[in-house]
Amino acid sequence: MNNEQEKVGYGITVFRPGTPRGAKIRGIIFFTIFCVIIVVQSCYWLFANSLRPFVLGMPFGMFFIVLFITAEFAALVILYLLESKNMEEKGDVL
Amino acid sequence: MTWILILIIICIYLFFVLFLGSWAGRGRESSIVEYIAASRGLGFVVMYFLMGGAIFSAFAYLGGPGWAYSKGAAAFYILGYCALGLVPWWLWGPRALKAGKKFQYVTQAQLFSDRFQSKVLSLIIAVVSVLAFIQYITLQMKGCAYVFEIASEGRIPFWAGALVAYVVVLIYVFYAGVRGVAWTNVFQGAFMVITAWVLGLYLAYDLYGGPSEMFRQIAQANPTHLLVGPGTKMSFAAFASALLVSVLGFSMWPHLFMKAYTAKSERVLKQTIVFYPTFAIFLVPVLFIGFAGIMQVKPDELGAADRILPWMFSHMQFPPIAVGLILAAALAAAMSTQDTITHAAGSIFAQDFVEVLKREKHSDREATLWVRISVICFGAVSYLVAIFGGQTLVALLLGAYGSIVQLLPLAAATFFWPRATKIGAICGILTGVLYNYAIVLEFIPKFWDIHAGIQGLVLNFIVLIVVSLLTKPMDRAHIHKFVTL
Repeated sequence: MNNEQEKVGYGITVFRPGTPRGAKIRGIIFFTIFCVIIVVQSCYWLFANSLRPFVLGMPFGMFFIVLFITAEFAALVILYLLESKNMEEKGDVL
Repeated sequence: MTWILILIIICIYLFFVLFLGSWAGRGRESSIVEYIAASRGLGFVVMYFLMGGAIFSAFAYLGGPGWAYSKGAAAFYILGYCALGLVPWWLWGPRALKAGKKFQYVTQAQLFSDRFQSKVLSLIIAVVSVLAFIQYITLQMKGCAYVFEIASEGRIPFWAGALVAYVVVLIYVFYAGVRGVAWTNVFQGAFMVITAWVLGLYLAYDLYGGPSEMFRQIAQANPTHLLVGPGTKMSFAAFASALLVSVLGFSMWPHLFMKAYTAKSERVLKQTIVFYPTFAIFLVPVLFIGFAGIMQVKPDELGAADRILPWMFSHMQFPPIAVGLILAAALAAAMSTQDTITHAAGSIFAQDFVEVLKREKHSDREATLWVRISVICFGAVSYLVAIFGGQTLVALLLGAYGSIVQLLPLAAATFFWPRATKIGAICGILTGVLYNYAIVLEFIPKFWDIHAGIQGLVLNFIVLIVVSLLTKPMDRAHIHKFVTL
C-alpha cells in the first residue's frame, strides 16, 4: 500500500496505478477521438455552415451534426465492447 | 368543448404519473441511501430513462422548437450537447460510483468535501447547486404553465398551471424519492420519444410535403435562418462556447452526477453513457416542429418563442385526443426534469448544507425527513420565481450552466490531480462562480461573445493550480484513496 502511494505521488495521475499499457493506449486514443468530435461539433460552422446539399431532408449543417452524433455513438459502442471484456474479467464487482 | 377534452386527457396523464411515482416507492425502507440513491440498485433501462428524462426537459422540448423557430441554426447546438453531454462522465462516473459504494456518499458535494477535507467547500457547492437548481426548476415550471395555458385556451392562468405541475411532482418525489423519479421517467421518456418522432415528421410532411421542402421554403423566406455566424442569430464564438460549456457542464450538474450513486454497477453506468446520444437523435424531429412553425405563425402573434410547440398543435385542426396527448408529452418533458431536480435540490440542501452545519449528525430517519422538507421548500421558492421571473427558457438555463461548470475542476482534481489543495479548490470555485455571475449580471463586460461560464472556468483552473502549488500538499494517504478508485 505504501509503495503504491509512493507510485501515485502528487503529479497528474490519469490512469490508476497498475493499468496495463494496452488499456492506457486505448484510453488515450478514445480520449483524442472524443475531443475531436467535441471540437468538430462546436465548430461545425467551419466545415458545414451551408444549406445545400439537403441530406435526409435536413440542411447540410444539421446533417453534419447528426452525422457526428452517429460517429460518436459508434465510438462509444466500440469503447464499451473493448472495455466490457475487462469488466467481465473483474467480475463487475465494485 | 374541445379544450375540456384536452384537459381531461392531460389530467388522466397526470393521475397516471402520480400513481406510478407513488407506486415505485411502495414498501421501501425510509433511509437516506434508499431515498437519494435507490439503495444503489438501478438497472440499465431505468438509468437510461432517468438520465434521458433530465435532458428531454422543457428546455429541449419547448425551448428547442422555440430556438428553431426564432433563432434557426443556433438550435443545432442543442443536438450537439445532448449527444456529447454524458461523454465526460465516462471519466468520473465509474469512479464516483466506486467512491459512493466505498465511502457511502449520496451527493456530489460529499465526495468533493471529503477529498478536500472541507466543510466550507460543501457549503459553497450546496449554495451554487441550489441557485442553479432554482433557475432550472423555474424553467420546467414555466414549461408546464405554458402547456396548461394553451391547452385551456387561456382559461387556466400561468400561476395555476405551474402550481398543478408542482403539486403532482411534489407528491411522488416526497413519497417515493429517486425511485419514484426514475420510474415516472421511464414512462415519460418513452412517451416523449414516440410523440416527438411521430409529430415532428407528420408536421413536416403534412404542411410542406417533407422536411427538404420545409427547409427550402424557410431558406427562401429567410436565407440566413439556417446558418450561424455574422448576420445571423448566433455568432461563431457564441455557438462554440455555448456547446462547449454545455458539454463540460452537463455531467457536473449535481442531480446528474449523483445518479452515479444509484447505478447497480459500472457496466450499467457505461451502458447508459453509450446509449445516451440516441436522445439527441430523438430530438431532431422536435426541432422540426419549431422549423415547421416558421411559415405558419408570426412572432408577434405567438408571443414567446417557447410557445411554438403547444401553439402548433392547438392550431392545426388535430382531433382533441391527439392534441391532448401531444400537450401531455410536453408536460412529461418538463415534469421529468422538474422531479429529478426537485429531488436533488432537497437532497443537497439537507445533506450538504444542513447536515454539515449540525454538530451532531441526524439519524437516518431525521435526515430523510429533512430532505423531504427541503423538497417542499425548494419547489415553493422556484414556483414563486417562475411566477414573477421574466426571462425566456433557454436564457435561464444557459445562465445556470455558467456556475455549474465551475464544479469541473473539482472533479478533475479529485480523481486526477493529487497536488490540488483545499485552499486551491475553494479559491478556484469562488473565482469561477463570482466571475460568471459578474458577467451574467453585467458588472463586467463579456469577452468576445464567449460564454461567461467558459471564461470563469479558465480562471477557476488557473486559480486552482496556482494556489494549490503555493500551499502545502494534502496528506498523501488520504489523497491516494481517490486517485486509485
